[in-house]
Amino acid sequence: MTTALLLFHGLLSAALIGAITHQMLGAWWPARAASGAFFSRFRAVNVASYTNAIIVMFVIDAFVGGVLLYPIYRIGARLVIENMRLRAPVGLFDLKEHFLTIALGLLPAYWYFWRRPLVAEHATVRKLLTAIIAFAVWFGFLVGHFTNNIRGLW
Amino acid sequence: MVMNLSRALPVFSAAFVVLYLAATHFNLALFTYHPAQGELEFLTRPPKGGAPAMYWYGWIATAAVGACVVAAISLAVPDRLAARVWPGWTPIIAVVVMLAFVYLLRGWFLPSIGLILK
Repeated sequence: MTTALLLFHGLLSAALIGAITHQMLGAWWPARAASGAFFSRFRAVNVASYTNAIIVMFVIDAFVGGVLLYPIYRIGARLVIENMRLRAPVGLFDLKEHFLTIALGLLPAYWYFWRRPLVAEHATVRKLLTAIIAFAVWFGFLVGHFTNNIRGLW
Repeated sequence: MVMNLSRALPVFSAAFVVLYLAATHFNLALFTYHPAQGELEFLTRPPKGGAPAMYWYGWIATAAVGACVVAAISLAVPDRLAARVWPGWTPIIAVVVMLAFVYLLRGWFLPSIGLILK
């Protein structure tokens, strides 16, 4: 069951990374003209429509990782990693926990600034919030993957 | 009415990240979870039976309750005054809090960095 949850957590995180990265690139680097090029089409999508899907995926992923899997890590894998005196991975995992909690707390503001019709004066805030959440999601994914390579949950 | 209430959301987010930092640093957990025993206890409690206690859920709860209070108070501010506050403070506060966490957790990384630089 733990392995299945971990796989689901990883897959959902990958989907979330795809959505938030797409939205971030579309917000920071919008396509100026329609073009057939892959990156132009990638940037030309209506990124505001991603907002609710990103929030739903983030909350479900946080529940699976934070509520269902985190206690198993805390009393198992983390103690092993600490006994191996691998301090940096423990610290990185703690940072992941805090960065993702901050991103979770930012979701209400993120929803507020991305709701339609989009307010032009809020464009910078939208870009910044999206970048922070994207950074937290990428950081969480990489650190989680790295930690799982050191000591998985079993 | 809904639009008026929603203007408290950025305030909630900014307050949440600051209160989360405070709750973590001062260990102000609204409840403690003992994963080995599967027990919840009100407020911050020491670990039980040699197994670690988890305060993270309690810190989130503390920050969420505090942020709700701050957001509710912010609704009392007239729209005219609230519109003067730059909305960019929310992401800036979040970045500052993230950097504060890096600083607070530096003890986990400095020995490794020292080894790399040696």
